[in-house]
Order: sequence, then C-alpha cells, then structure tokens
Amino acid sequence: MWDAAAGFFVCLVSPSNPLWLYYPLCAVVAVVYKATKSDDPRKIALGALHFFVSVSLGMLGLGLAFYVISQYL
Amino acid sequence: MTSPPALLPSRSPIAAIVLGWLIPGGGHAYGGQWGKAILFFSLICALMAAGMVIGGGTVILHYRLWFGAQLCAGGPTMALLPISQYFAASAPIDWANRFNEMGTLYTAVAGLLNLLVVMDAYLMLAHPQRSKENA
Repeated sequence: MWDAAAGFFVCLVSPSNPLWLYYPLCAVVAVVYKATKSDDPRKIALGALHFFVSVSLGMLGLGLAFYVISQYL
Repeated sequence: MTSPPALLPSRSPIAAIVLGWLIPGGGHAYGGQWGKAILFFSLICALMAAGMVIGGGTVILHYRLWFGAQLCAGGPTMALLPISQYFAASAPIDWANRFNEMGTLYTAVAGLLNLLVVMDAYLMLAHPQRSKENA
C-alpha cells in the first residue's frame, strides 16, 4: 500500500503531468467565490485560504484513495 | 473594499448583468464597487489568458460543449475566439493532449466564475439590503 501511495506522489510531481495546474485554478476559485460572499478583505483572505486548503487536501486525499484502489484492481 | 460601499442610486440590475457579462467585474464597477471590480477583472482575465497559453491557443472553439461555460464570460471569450479558431485552422489539434484539456478547463471555470460574479452584481443592485455575511 505504501508503495502505491509513493507512486501516486511521484506521478503527481512529474513534469508531464498537468495536475499541479489545479492549484492556481483552485486559488482563483477560492478568492472569487469568497469575494462574492463578503465585503471585508480580511474575511475574504481568510475564507479563501480555508477554502483553498480544504479543497486541495480533500482532492489530494480523494486522488490518493482512488490511485491506491486502482493499483489493487 | 474596506467599508461597505455606498451604492449609487437608480442603477439598473439588468445593466449590471449586461456589463458584467461583457467585461468581468463590469457589473460591480457599475454599482460603485471598484475594488471588487478590479479583483474580478484581473483574476478572470488572467485565468482566461492562462488557459489559452496552457492549452496552446486552441481551447475556445464554438463547436465544443465547453463553449457554453466559456461563453458566460462573454467579452473575453468573444475576443479570444478568433485567435483560437486561427490556431485550430493552422494546425491539427491533439485532443488527447492533457495540457489542452487543462487549458480548456481554465477557460471554462473562468466563464463559470464570471457567471457567479454577474449574479453577485445583480443581487447587489436588486437587493442592496441583503446581508453578505449571512449569504
């Protein structure tokens, strides 16, 4: 299982893999979404950071889980 | 952006929709929220431009379903459509290229974000008493 998980991270940082481009996209979505919800710049910044971290970690966890499952199928 | 903006009187929400569709953030500028307007314009246009560069210029094509999402940012999409068509006509498109997929996703998300921004501009003018923090 740990080998499969390590394979996932090797695949993720490969230059030919465009998945790292999801991070700037996620950051922009976070800022725009939070800016439509609040007028206070501090709340926008904190909310966007929270949104970005939770979505990134959630997607990373989901991707890792599916990758490990796919290695055993 | 620091204090709640004083909305300008007698502003049409429909005009905010049209302006926001043509220019990202245009609806907020029309409503007097210049800080947000600049933020939305720069982020959405940057996303569109990044998508074009990442996807090799062939990401906005009218015959693809993605075009529906991209069209939600009307002005930038209409400006970039001829460029995309030019690149598509000059060389065959590699549909399996993952960077082209990513560029397409960038531009489609930019369009959908503009839809959200346009709706926010409309609500700002149609229902100015709406509390943002409870939204």
